[in-house]
Amino acid sequence: MSRPVLVRREQVLRGGQPLAFGIGLCVALLVGLVLLVGSGHDPLRVYGRMFEASLGDPRAWSVTLNRAVPLGLAGLAVAVAGSMGLWNIGAEGQIMAGAIGAAWIARIGGEWPSPVLITAMLAAAILGGGLLALGPAVARARIGVNEIITTLMLNEVAIRLVQWLVHGRWKDPGSNNFPLAPMLPDNARLPGLFERAHFGVVLAGVVIALFGVAASRTAWGYELRVAGSSGATARYAGISLERKVMTVLILSGGVAGFAGGIELSGAADRITEGLSNGFGFAGIIVAALALMRPSGVAAVALLFGAVQIGGQSIQTMGVSSSVSTILQALILFGAIAAGVLSRYRVEMVAGEATEVTG
Amino acid sequence: MTEASLVGLLEATVSFGALLYLAALGEMVAEKAGILNLGVEGMMAMGAVTGFVVALHSGDPWVALLAAVAAGAAVGLLHGFFTVVLGAEQVVSGLSLTILGLGLSAYLGRGSVGRPAGAELVGVDWGPLTDLPWAGPVLFGQSPLVYLAVVAGFATWFVLWRTRLGLAVRAAGESASTADAAGHSVAGIRLAAVAVGGGLAGAAGAYLTLSLTPQWVEGVVAGRGWIAVALVIFGAWRPGRVAIGALLFGLTLALKTRLQTFGVDFSPILLSMLPYLLTVGVLVVISIRSRNRPSPSPAALGIAYRREER
Repeated sequence: MSRPVLVRREQVLRGGQPLAFGIGLCVALLVGLVLLVGSGHDPLRVYGRMFEASLGDPRAWSVTLNRAVPLGLAGLAVAVAGSMGLWNIGAEGQIMAGAIGAAWIARIGGEWPSPVLITAMLAAAILGGGLLALGPAVARARIGVNEIITTLMLNEVAIRLVQWLVHGRWKDPGSNNFPLAPMLPDNARLPGLFERAHFGVVLAGVVIALFGVAASRTAWGYELRVAGSSGATARYAGISLERKVMTVLILSGGVAGFAGGIELSGAADRITEGLSNGFGFAGIIVAALALMRPSGVAAVALLFGAVQIGGQSIQTMGVSSSVSTILQALILFGAIAAGVLSRYRVEMVAGEATEVTG
Repeated sequence: MTEASLVGLLEATVSFGALLYLAALGEMVAEKAGILNLGVEGMMAMGAVTGFVVALHSGDPWVALLAAVAAGAAVGLLHGFFTVVLGAEQVVSGLSLTILGLGLSAYLGRGSVGRPAGAELVGVDWGPLTDLPWAGPVLFGQSPLVYLAVVAGFATWFVLWRTRLGLAVRAAGESASTADAAGHSVAGIRLAAVAVGGGLAGAAGAYLTLSLTPQWVEGVVAGRGWIAVALVIFGAWRPGRVAIGALLFGLTLALKTRLQTFGVDFSPILLSMLPYLLTVGVLVVISIRSRNRPSPSPAALGIAYRREER
């Protein structure tokens, strides 16, 4: 009797992650092909339309870039925590908390000059996101409370907080009793860049680059990685784990909050309960595909932005937009499998299940 | 507050409680074996759409329920394949399963939106018991799935804590290498536990579209899968305590639409934050207390097991 086992390769296959990512993309497109044929569509036309609408011309690029902004910042938030072995599953809620902070400043600063107002809004967004992560950060650092669950739970709390504001205090008196917040004033909107793209694309790019440099070229980034790979080593090297855990989780929340502020100021008309739009959860996939490296986050976010925008565009062809949701999850599943196979090979071993191998 | 509205509240509490309990039991079984599955929301969505579509075509609610259980188990096994066989990160795989389940259910259900249900699981008639005041509607007029949830709770307790199989499952979640050394197949146990968990989540999803609100709309699960994840922690991984938590969280769901009729001036939206905040609170208490005594959380939860790297 023989059974397959995974045996660690002595050397990881070259070009592992980009290759794994490509394989994931192919797997996703193949499954998508089956779904499209199954629902009576011409898959090549649908994929062609997706490509056109997301990367076909400067205008398409501008829309895709806008979408890549929250995805990339959420991915960065997850990656910052992930580089230390921590899981921030709360980006979805922190985006909301950031948007609440920014919207609050926009309510009181309607008369301020635009640059002042926007700067204050984005600062409040970072604070809002960081504040939502504060509880899980302190609980994790001080008493070892699992941050996966606390950050996850606070997502639902933050989304309901927006609902509560929009249904009550922040309801626009002129909205015919619809639960809608008032539109943002014009001076609270981020300036444009080209076509539909807004200035948040630059801001997100700069922040991701800064973290990229900090992670790979500074002592701080090095300490994070040491602390992430071995707590004991970190303590021996004199790195304060407790403080590091706390600052990293709060920083992670702040980055996600920043995403919420930019999304509000750049892409949304007003704060709504749908503002976070799954970006926080997609950010976890983005970060995982980028192996928690800021440099990879930008590239993956751009591709996911294209898949999302392409997915929206095919609705006019009568294709369910759920196809693009399915594609995103399948890219990850395909990449996980390919990633594992770049580090392990499958071997058939003889013998019963109790025998030890390797 | 009238008697009728109070009976209605209790009836809805039991009904919502059973819905949450089914999904939470499934998550508990998987976690007891060491697998954290954050895909509950997606598995419930798959169960909900499968149950509804199969009911449309077969007209038989029980066939629809079975299909929903099978669909939940199947997508659960996908998480099992990636986390158990390939050793992938459980958090990432589970969240991707949620996204996949939400997308796939929307795709499969796109032709069923707005259609009347093909079949429903209607309330069980317990004869004279159902006619009792108070207890009749609250306990004896419920959907068959409510009684299934009770049976599943007892069965889970019995199997996990009173059988050798259950001992092996718990060993896989506490110390996988010990379970392995004792001759159990850790991979087999974990895959089975994730499949059972998916099946129960599928049943919970079917409860939504076959009993509670017999129609299909995208997003019908509406965050209740996350409450199920919370419940497992709230109930400290014990079926009895999870049941109490399910009733408590069920009460908050039932109260949400009734606060105003009771003349209570409190925002139903703020009330719906309660399950999540309570869970965070319980988690903090557990962590403080586990400084002196063992934590109720399975020790090997979330950790992939590869015998070759032991």
